[in-house]
Amino acid sequence: MSEEEIRQEYSILERSKKDTSAFGELYEKYYDRIFNFIYRQTDDEDITADLCSQTFLNALKNAEKFEYRGVPVSAWFYRIASNEVNKHYRKIKRDKVFSIEELKVRELVEQTDDGWDEELTNKMMTHLRDLPTEMLEVLELRFFEDKDFKEIAYILDITESGAKMRTYRALDRLRKQFNLKIKYDGKK
Amino acid sequence: MGKNEIRLRRQNMSAGRIARHRNYGALLERHERDRKIKLYMKVFTYFLLAAFLIILFIIISRWEKKYAPDQDQKKTTSVENVLRYEAHANNSTTYNR
Repeated sequence: MSEEEIRQEYSILERSKKDTSAFGELYEKYYDRIFNFIYRQTDDEDITADLCSQTFLNALKNAEKFEYRGVPVSAWFYRIASNEVNKHYRKIKRDKVFSIEELKVRELVEQTDDGWDEELTNKMMTHLRDLPTEMLEVLELRFFEDKDFKEIAYILDITESGAKMRTYRALDRLRKQFNLKIKYDGKK
Repeated sequence: MGKNEIRLRRQNMSAGRIARHRNYGALLERHERDRKIKLYMKVFTYFLLAAFLIILFIIISRWEKKYAPDQDQKKTTSVENVLRYEAHANNSTTYNR
């Protein structure tokens, strides 16, 4: 996203401080992405709808407090959504669920001669299960949501080098078992 | 070690299914309702605070009125005590001589 586009979104957010209907433009633009992001961490449509609605409601309530930090407005939505998901899991006191699209997982790994088989899928699932939550979060944002490290750092409230380190370590663990297509910076 | 449950999905969530949950009008209504509740709570809190301060002021003024004469008496008593002590001291000096 270019600097110009980011500024444009900020101007919409500025307008929404006085006129709440202006916020609708951002809501329509990002609803699907935030919904998918939350759904990947809950695997429940109704809970996702509630958390998604709460995310945008919080954004609307706190629009006045929002400050320009050089990241797209969407990163702020992701950050609120991530906090809402964490709050939800603290409340229900259950382990976090990551519901990953098979296609996205396949994009990560180089296929063997026989192609993608059930065994490889199960092996991948087992290794992903063993990864700490922090690493899964960065993997999700980096490779499933295509976020750059600056945005990831902002969303997870960590430093940019911290985000790079987590991604590198997560991929390093997977690389020991699989022939990964991608490098930690997203390049193939 | 992770404590997460990993599930694999064959398909992405379709745009149509997501669209069923998208409702900006409902969000605005909820926002307006929350804003009103917040405003009422603010007014109520200020009202409670003002009522508390008024009650505190009334209690203090009554307490002051109630104990005001006693304090005057105490002062007199203290003055009297000093005079008595001085008189006693003078008497003792005279006796010693």
